[in-house]
Amino acid sequence: MSERVLICIGTKKGLFIAESSKKRRRFSLRGPFGPGIDVYSAMIDTRGTPKIFASSCHPFFGMKIFRSTDLGNSFKETKSAPAFPEGDGRAVANIWSLEPGKGKRELWCGVEPAALFRSTDNGNSWEMIPGISKHEHCEHWQPGNGGLCMHTILRDGDHIHLGISTGGHYLSEDGGETFSAANTGVGAGFSPDPFPEFGQCVHKIASHPDAPGRLYMQNHGGWGDWDGPGGRRPDIGVLRSDDHGHTWRSIAKGLPSDFGFPICIHPDNPDVVYVVPLEASTRTCPGGRPSVWRSENGGDSWNRLSSGFPKKESFFTVLRDSMQFDHLKSPALYFGTTTGNLWIGRNGGEDWDCLFESLPPIHCVKVAVV
Amino acid sequence: MSVRIHIPPTLREWAGNADKEVIVQPGSVQDALIQLADRHPAAYRGVCDETGAVRRHVNLFVNDSLVRTPADFERTLSPGDELFIMPAVSGG
Repeated sequence: MSERVLICIGTKKGLFIAESSKKRRRFSLRGPFGPGIDVYSAMIDTRGTPKIFASSCHPFFGMKIFRSTDLGNSFKETKSAPAFPEGDGRAVANIWSLEPGKGKRELWCGVEPAALFRSTDNGNSWEMIPGISKHEHCEHWQPGNGGLCMHTILRDGDHIHLGISTGGHYLSEDGGETFSAANTGVGAGFSPDPFPEFGQCVHKIASHPDAPGRLYMQNHGGWGDWDGPGGRRPDIGVLRSDDHGHTWRSIAKGLPSDFGFPICIHPDNPDVVYVVPLEASTRTCPGGRPSVWRSENGGDSWNRLSSGFPKKESFFTVLRDSMQFDHLKSPALYFGTTTGNLWIGRNGGEDWDCLFESLPPIHCVKVAVV
Repeated sequence: MSVRIHIPPTLREWAGNADKEVIVQPGSVQDALIQLADRHPAAYRGVCDETGAVRRHVNLFVNDSLVRTPADFERTLSPGDELFIMPAVSGG
């Protein structure tokens, strides 16, 4: 069978699968799977025979992980979902991230309240990873507006980066045995100390395999006009690290707002970075005019991409896991909105089209060529 | 006589098509939940989280009395009593 593009769209009302040929002209849609239930995380596992994993977070009855082995035509529940061990005292309230682990059947999962789990059998059983889940800082972390979530898991050999809102960036250099807060240069607007050791409201972190040690972060910005305790904290929202996350520096200069949720890197070039700036006070498109901003020099300068977007009266939000590239020649960038639109930015985000305009509010978008 | 636990349709579906009713031996409300866990673990997990607490949006009623306080969970169920599992009112 020829290759096709698959998009997993996790929404407030279940998981949808969009599919297209590599030409990406027309996408078909199927679903919802797990209808009516929030899907905050999904993962297309392209290691070996492709599989799709998705969380299903029932607001009444608890958590499940669904798995598909037929490219999202059908899903079955795995034998268990992440759960805190007896006596821990915490209960999983949401599943925020699913990422491939080291081995072929290994998965990593970040949950709310912030904790990390690992499965070595394709999601049928899970163990809590104590190095971060029982970290001495964890009782000091606070929930952000979305909850106390572990939303980012990045692996680079023995370096593992975690993003926690609000906990900050945590780094392991021993494959996940131990973790340390690594937030030098990462600001926080909501604490008297503008640069605390930990507790930042990190929104998303991105890395690229061709640039080991380099990371980009969308942090909770929007504190440039703050005149409360501690004073203004301009440009703390978009950051870059070149030393595996030990230190960070602002790359927000030139953006219309340093507030946003997702941050993505072009698959062919680690210098090409994308963000979706939002008005900090409303979390919507500045001036009602949507745009994606791209840097082609690692964050030194930014350009606005808006061809195909509405010119006015558009006030959506793009959430932290709702933007991703495919990996075709001339990659396309996709994002979903809280107003249920799924957009495709062909030619690296130069030309935008709305693929679906009336889905439920979109929590996450994951793309793969299979 | 025994105690009847009523499982709502949404939970039955979420718990792999669990039974509509489960008959358990008289004891406390907590004892009834333990018996539910033994026989229908998926349904029990839909009622109680991993700490053993009843989930925030689930209500239990003994006949028409809401089970809320620790004392309510120790309440002795008499033969013929009914334990209702009800999703709380919420929407959006």
